[in-house]
Amino acid sequence: METCETVVIPNTAGGVRAAAQGFERFSTARGLPAAAVWPVQVALDEVLSNTVRHGYAETNPERQIEIVFDVRGGVLEVTVVDDAAPFNPLEAAAPTLDAPLEERSPGGLGIHLVRKLMDEVRYERADERNRLVLRKRI
Amino acid sequence: MAIEIGEESRDGATLLTPVGRLDSESSELLDSAVARHLDGGALKLAIDFREVDYISSAGLRVVLMAAKRLKAAGGSLVLCSMQPSVRLVFELAGLLPLFAVEPDRAAAFARLRAAP
Repeated sequence: METCETVVIPNTAGGVRAAAQGFERFSTARGLPAAAVWPVQVALDEVLSNTVRHGYAETNPERQIEIVFDVRGGVLEVTVVDDAAPFNPLEAAAPTLDAPLEERSPGGLGIHLVRKLMDEVRYERADERNRLVLRKRI
Repeated sequence: MAIEIGEESRDGATLLTPVGRLDSESSELLDSAVARHLDGGALKLAIDFREVDYISSAGLRVVLMAAKRLKAAGGSLVLCSMQPSVRLVFELAGLLPLFAVEPDRAAAFARLRAAP
């Protein structure tokens, strides 16, 4: 079995769903442990839904996002490449985590979860593309 | 695959049981169900997570907004039966201390019964 698989999705909610289903197939076929799989599912949902919602001007026609799933050396690695506006999630402000209920905002939680759930997150901007690598030890 | 959301009423309280993952897409359905009950005047709401495999920030947003809305209306929200994955996400988001959390639905209903 190949260690890696590529999924290409449109920048739509349906595309985000397809990516989740593609990752589920990938991880099930390789018998990956649930403890590593669900955090990556969450991180993938956060990254992709963020890109779909904020990454493109409204006038943009449908764009494609490429996602590569790979597992080797005990590490599950997901690479997301898109040509949306430059966005480095590692530079996003951390959310306030101790305000009372009335003052609590959902903003920034998604990126925060990605950083906390993954063992490693790497970002680079090259060839007018965002390239985000998520790594989770199995 | 659309998420299913079980709905049940008991002793003046409403219990919602989402089945599957609460991600960016499925959380919208939970949001609609919550809105429908709150718009209808429900003041005692419980969400049972026993069938939820994992939750992303979209799901957290729905729960947070439900809590705010209920608090403003003088109502109560109780969360129950969180699997470890769901509990961890609430913890990482710093949200766990904000909610009434019970181990199962019986305890959730009891807590809502006792609420003003």
